[in-house]
Amino acid sequence: MTSPLENLETQLEMFIENVRQIHIIVSDFQPQSQNVLNQKLQAMVHGLQEVDKLKSQVQDVHVPLEVFDYIDQGRNPQLYTKDCIEKALAKNEQVKGKIDAYRKFKANMLLELSRTFPTELSKYRALRGDE
Amino acid sequence: MMGDQFRKVEQYSPKSSPRGARSPVVSRQDSSGTLKTTILLGKNPSIVPSGPFYLLKEPPGESGITGATNLMAYYGLEHSYSKFSGKKLKEQLSSFLPTLPGVIDSPGQSDNSSLRSVIEKPPVGGKDLLPLSSAQLEGFRLHPGPLPEQYRYANATPIKKHKNKHKKHKHKEGGPPSTETPITDAGGDTHEKKHKKQKRHDEDKERKKRKKEKKRKKQKHSPEHSGGGLTPSQHSS
Repeated sequence: MTSPLENLETQLEMFIENVRQIHIIVSDFQPQSQNVLNQKLQAMVHGLQEVDKLKSQVQDVHVPLEVFDYIDQGRNPQLYTKDCIEKALAKNEQVKGKIDAYRKFKANMLLELSRTFPTELSKYRALRGDE
Repeated sequence: MMGDQFRKVEQYSPKSSPRGARSPVVSRQDSSGTLKTTILLGKNPSIVPSGPFYLLKEPPGESGITGATNLMAYYGLEHSYSKFSGKKLKEQLSSFLPTLPGVIDSPGQSDNSSLRSVIEKPPVGGKDLLPLSSAQLEGFRLHPGPLPEQYRYANATPIKKHKNKHKKHKHKEGGPPSTETPITDAGGDTHEKKHKKQKRHDEDKERKKRKKEKKRKKQKHSPEHSGGGLTPSQHSS
């Protein structure tokens, strides 16, 4: 069982191939190829019908609009995925750095407070329970 | 009854207390370490434990996942990450869709084929797609002969890269470069590469020679030396 996206991909590839063949027929047209051209035109309509049928199966697929910009500029859309992954990783590292810094700050703070205000801090720890 | 109650309150009011106007709550020292509570009156009376510390709030509840964890591993995207970060991706759209015919690496806005334009100006839809009737097909009856020049561009793509490479070689051989800096740089690089390759080749040759000489010496000195054929390992070397 193929996935809806694979079906759509196959249909689009067949459609493109059909159009390419029409281009070849038309680019140096011979009168005897009129019937073949007519068949190809009907096949094109059929191809559009098939793509239209598959529309409902891919309703849940969401594509980021930025990907379209990459494609419109003639760039590989996988570069968008790569950029996203790299950005996410960089942000993840930044946040982890911040969290680690806060953890260290908290530990140092508690240490220094326990030196300066030992009784208050023992009360604080008793209050917090888990400190 | 009500009047009696008010009188009683007045009797126990701080004003009439033997300690004067001082509030009994303020004067009491909390030496036991028990928690203090604040009782709020008014529309919504409530009891709030204030404790010995000001501004002591409940710590925020721990969320399941934070930026402290490796989110790439958490969501099982390490494979995708290594796939995209490891190898250098080719920039062109044609490398992603190699089977697609025609010029697809040029910007879509130049020939009105951009996907943005499909979103911004959606095509007319909602009509049934029906096969063409024979009368409609009559409209596609074409004249024999080749297409005009401006409509032939779509065939030219797949060989493009190959042609470029050939051009570079031609420039290197001594032809006048059309654009000066990049091509001369590229030419220089290739020249260096060739030079390096030649060097390596020479070094390899020298090494092989030395090895052969060593082998000869060994064979001369070894008792097994009988002038027989080469073993398979010797063949390979």
